[in-house]
Amino acid sequence: MRQWRVALGVAGLVMAGLAGADAAETVNVYTAWPESLSQPIFKAYTAKTGVQVNFIRLSTGELVARATAEKNNPRADVIWGAPGDGFAAAKEAGILEPYRPATWDRVPAELKDREGYYTAVAKNTLVFMSNAKLLKEKGLKPPVSWSDLLDPAYKGQIQTADARTSGTALTRILSIYYAFGRDEDKAFDYQKKLHGNVQVYTKSGGGCTIPAALGQAIVCIAHLPDAMEAKKKGYDMVVTFPKEGVAAVIEAVALVKGAKNREAATKLIDWTFSRDMQDLLDKNQVYMLPTLPGASIEPSVQSLMKEAKLLPVDLEWVGKNRKRLVERWVNEVIKE
Amino acid sequence: MMTAERGKRLTLEHVSKRFQREGQAAVEAVNDVSLTVEPGELVTLLGPSGCGKTTTLRMVAGFEQPDAGRISIGDDDVTTLMVYRRSIGFVFQNYALFPHLTVFENVAYGLRVRRLSESAIRARVRQVLELVGLPGYERRFPNQLSGGEQQRVAVARAVVVEPQLLLFDEPLSNLDAKLRVQMRAELSRLQRQLAITTVYVTHDQEEAMAISDRIAVMHRGALAQLGTAEELYRAPRSAFVAQFIGRVNLVESRVLGITGGRMAVALWDSSLGVPAGAGYAVGQRLSLVLRPESLTLVTDSTKAGEGEVVVPGVVRNRTFLGEKVEYAVEVGAAVLQIVSYDPTRRGVIDVGARVGVACDAAAVRVLGAAP
Amino acid sequence: MRRDPVLAPAVLLVWGAVGLFVLYPLGRLLVLTFWNAGPSLDAVRGLVGDWTHRAALINSLVLAALVGVAGTALGLGFALLAVRANLPRWLTRALDAVVLLPLISPPFTAAIALIFALGPRGLISYHVFGLTRVNIYGLSGTLLSETLTYFPIAYLTLKAVLANVDPNLEDSAFSLGARRWRVFRTVTLRLATPGLANAFLLVSAASLADFATPLILGGTKFPVLPTQAFLQITGLYDMRGGAALCFLLLIPALAVFAGQRWFTERRAGSFVTVTGKVGAATRVKTLSRTAVVALALVCGVIVALVLVCYLLIFAASIVRGLGADNRLSLAHYAHVFSGGLKAVRDTLVIAVICMPVGALFAVVLGFLVSRTRFPGRRTLEFAAMMNYALPGTIVGIAYLVAFNDAPLALTGTAFILVVCYVFRYSLAGTRATSAVLAQIDPSIEEASASLGARRDVTFRRVVLPLVRPALLAGMTVLFIRAMTAISATIFLVSLSWSLVTVRILEGITNLELGQASAFSVLVILLVYAAVVVASLAMRRLNAGSLGQAGTLLGG
Repeated sequence: MRQWRVALGVAGLVMAGLAGADAAETVNVYTAWPESLSQPIFKAYTAKTGVQVNFIRLSTGELVARATAEKNNPRADVIWGAPGDGFAAAKEAGILEPYRPATWDRVPAELKDREGYYTAVAKNTLVFMSNAKLLKEKGLKPPVSWSDLLDPAYKGQIQTADARTSGTALTRILSIYYAFGRDEDKAFDYQKKLHGNVQVYTKSGGGCTIPAALGQAIVCIAHLPDAMEAKKKGYDMVVTFPKEGVAAVIEAVALVKGAKNREAATKLIDWTFSRDMQDLLDKNQVYMLPTLPGASIEPSVQSLMKEAKLLPVDLEWVGKNRKRLVERWVNEVIKE
Repeated sequence: MMTAERGKRLTLEHVSKRFQREGQAAVEAVNDVSLTVEPGELVTLLGPSGCGKTTTLRMVAGFEQPDAGRISIGDDDVTTLMVYRRSIGFVFQNYALFPHLTVFENVAYGLRVRRLSESAIRARVRQVLELVGLPGYERRFPNQLSGGEQQRVAVARAVVVEPQLLLFDEPLSNLDAKLRVQMRAELSRLQRQLAITTVYVTHDQEEAMAISDRIAVMHRGALAQLGTAEELYRAPRSAFVAQFIGRVNLVESRVLGITGGRMAVALWDSSLGVPAGAGYAVGQRLSLVLRPESLTLVTDSTKAGEGEVVVPGVVRNRTFLGEKVEYAVEVGAAVLQIVSYDPTRRGVIDVGARVGVACDAAAVRVLGAAP
Repeated sequence: MRRDPVLAPAVLLVWGAVGLFVLYPLGRLLVLTFWNAGPSLDAVRGLVGDWTHRAALINSLVLAALVGVAGTALGLGFALLAVRANLPRWLTRALDAVVLLPLISPPFTAAIALIFALGPRGLISYHVFGLTRVNIYGLSGTLLSETLTYFPIAYLTLKAVLANVDPNLEDSAFSLGARRWRVFRTVTLRLATPGLANAFLLVSAASLADFATPLILGGTKFPVLPTQAFLQITGLYDMRGGAALCFLLLIPALAVFAGQRWFTERRAGSFVTVTGKVGAATRVKTLSRTAVVALALVCGVIVALVLVCYLLIFAASIVRGLGADNRLSLAHYAHVFSGGLKAVRDTLVIAVICMPVGALFAVVLGFLVSRTRFPGRRTLEFAAMMNYALPGTIVGIAYLVAFNDAPLALTGTAFILVVCYVFRYSLAGTRATSAVLAQIDPSIEEASASLGARRDVTFRRVVLPLVRPALLAGMTVLFIRAMTAISATIFLVSLSWSLVTVRILEGITNLELGQASAFSVLVILLVYAAVVVASLAMRRLNAGSLGQAGTLLGG
């Protein structure tokens, strides 16, 4: 019976110890970027400054929800790398603190919140990613227009993100909205028609890349980095842009209100907007455009982006109407 | 209608069964058993637990298959026949009444299998319930019945289908002592009335003797002796049977002489004359069966009469049981069990008293000899 | 109530723990849902008006019923094969091992494997059968995946039920002339009815609470409640709506739980108790050859399907990219043990800590509830079980809401994870304890008292040693659940503590399927090892039926 008491005692001590927090210079980060992209960047930061970056990857929605729930007792110091609309929601929920990094003035106006609540670290956009073999089998040309996707040949062959869980979906909705000249009704009309060809809406933005790569669907509408990842893995994919245009969305960074490690947080944000970090977007093959003018861009990305018609997005408007747009999508587009 | 149809004859010929349990050696549960149950007869398989009686019964029923030998009901060889094709009625030790069915449905089960009409079923069930003394019990559930009542329903269920063979597996062992005595009388009466060939299994020798026409004593998978209760009691053929049926004093003895049809055997420094058994020779060792009630206690000065042996002893223990007194008397190196009836009239002897134990030649049996 | 200096504090302590970690979070959730500067039904009204949520409610119920039926039928088939077909020992062991797999795997395993196998270009549907119009998403896919995942629960329950049917009853029926099919129909099945109902409810409850499978296979056409609650919070940033959805889910979950308790409680004089001699070495030949063959075919197909699923997972873990780049590679495992090592370590640490804490709680609770009398005993028992009965999503959200700030800020710590597991998964240990205690005559404890020992001394020196097998069972279940839980804990992971199951979900989300598979394989191996060790230990402790996986995992 003595062993019992010892065991309990040890367990108790361990528990007590666990209830406490870590020591050592650290900064706590919530990020929506896949680990393969964010991990090397944070590692580089640690290598340079010696500051430990504790991060977890959550989807945009989970991230905002979590941070909002933790409002009175925030665990994270920085939200680093998530779609702009998430930040709009976060700003609305009052969980951000405005902070302008050192190079703030050099960042173009459309890539940052006017009041400095969040700043874009990278530009992202949407692409059509198609399975080359299936296209050939069906005798189809790669889709180069939104209307191409309405072709009955694509019935049940399109996968794309679910607006309730993925920021990529919002990029899609916005792209269609802007491509249709900001006529919301026309845009949703189109999406209803598109819905007829959709096989399944995936939970995450990049959720359709592997299925399309494996031939389970022909077309995957996803963010550029996801598509390039698939190509990098060796899958035979064709990347195209719709000629009517796609929305340019931002991945941003913000300081959390009430951050426990505020100083370390601001340091991280400053570094994010340094040449060092922005160059990493190219070096690490993140396939997003840097926001700081003058940072290097990978040539293949550059050539691709040349074809794209990037439609500018009004961040304020998106922030105010995001919820409504998603609800409209849920109630009009996917309702059977 | 319960016609007094005589059942069929049951024949077992050299039936054996072996059980193989994991990681253990094979066990000979039943070893070359042969016996015949005449039509309408009740034969009991009697023996201690593990002697193979239940296994034998289950083979007769068809729940187990013999490894060797033949089982026949009437003229039909049923050795490999499935249990539901044999015409049997089986009463289990724990009654095995269907808990989810009423008494009526329990009893009617076998009749429904035989596709009798509803009216015929109702009539037969009513009739058999009256037969077992449970009229009006149709709607009750087994868990609402007492042990004795459950047992009767089990019997009713087995009997209502008019089987050719009735099999009982220790049906009374879950009842208390008084009820057991009452029930065995009823079972016996019922069996005689229906005159169905019956095999009954029990470990209780009194029960066996009370109800059986013949008893088959089993020991370690083999048939030790088959006979009426009287035969088994008076002329046991082995020490096991002698000790299993009733109580016994077995005394080692020797043939002292053989003249004509009688032989002299040694008994405690004296000799007694008994009928000569076949194949005995002078000097041969044998055992004598002395039943406790056949020995008499006399005063230690009494002399032996004609055909009688008296030996001195000391009373070591005495148990007064009302109608009888049991004594343990030390004679030489051995202790004899002696029973004396009607002690109130005859008197009781104290512990420590010196007595004479008288043994009459007529009461002595040689073990293994004919009655 | 006997005046006992130890009983009162123990009861208070347990009540305190239960109140704090079960009732308080649920209360906060209630407040969040129904209070918006004053009592308000807005949240619920908003829900019911939304078609996706209405659809989700109906879908959840329909799916649960269908999975219940399918899972129970399949479980019965397997159980019959295992108990009544006289299969050689190695075959029954193999069957048990295969059927066990879905129960010890991380939650998405079946779903992912099925997409690989039966999806639009699936290995089986397309490459073997050449079908192109197979739709794995929606009701059919979810139904198939959940049935495969949860039928083992029915199997384990029904195996015990069938084994406990008094063979004399069936022999009786045979002796009355009934043939096999009739005996099965009129006796065996009828006696097993409560067990069948119980199995149905267990499987339905599992389906009702399943968050992971519909997330992957449901698609927009087939929303279900737990997933909707999750999405409401994480997709639409709506905590209140998510909480309200939880309450929609609460009602059927509680109903099913109450039903299931009712069935397990009415053992008295019931249909499956065995009395008296269980017939000498009965070989109950209830299955005819044709029956065996038919069952073997059906079960064989299912077994093959299960094996294929796991093979696919394993294959995905050792090639670069299953389906596209099939070169062998250990890169995924390398990642598991480098980048993923924190999650593995954290999960193991949490699981290991849970074991003694949870086991002790379970034993104390089991003892208090089954061996002592005090006012409110039944209520305490019920309250303690609530976190088990409720779908994990509800518990997770409740904990998130309740423990994020004062008075008790626990989010982000290991403490909250351990507490969540302990209060969710101790039920198996409590039940095992009650079962063991039921077999121990109270006179043993009375003897200890008559010799002068106080209640807690008796507990420590008499009860605990006897109850060791139950402790072990409880700990094993906790370990297994801690390694494979997702629906509650997805809301509770933090910067300091990450879990393997959440990493698997992330992997799936980011289409790092190779990584997700590698993690899955690791979890399966660890859990399997735990089950084997536990079974061996049980055998040493001579624990009888407790040591079988059935009790450990059957719920």
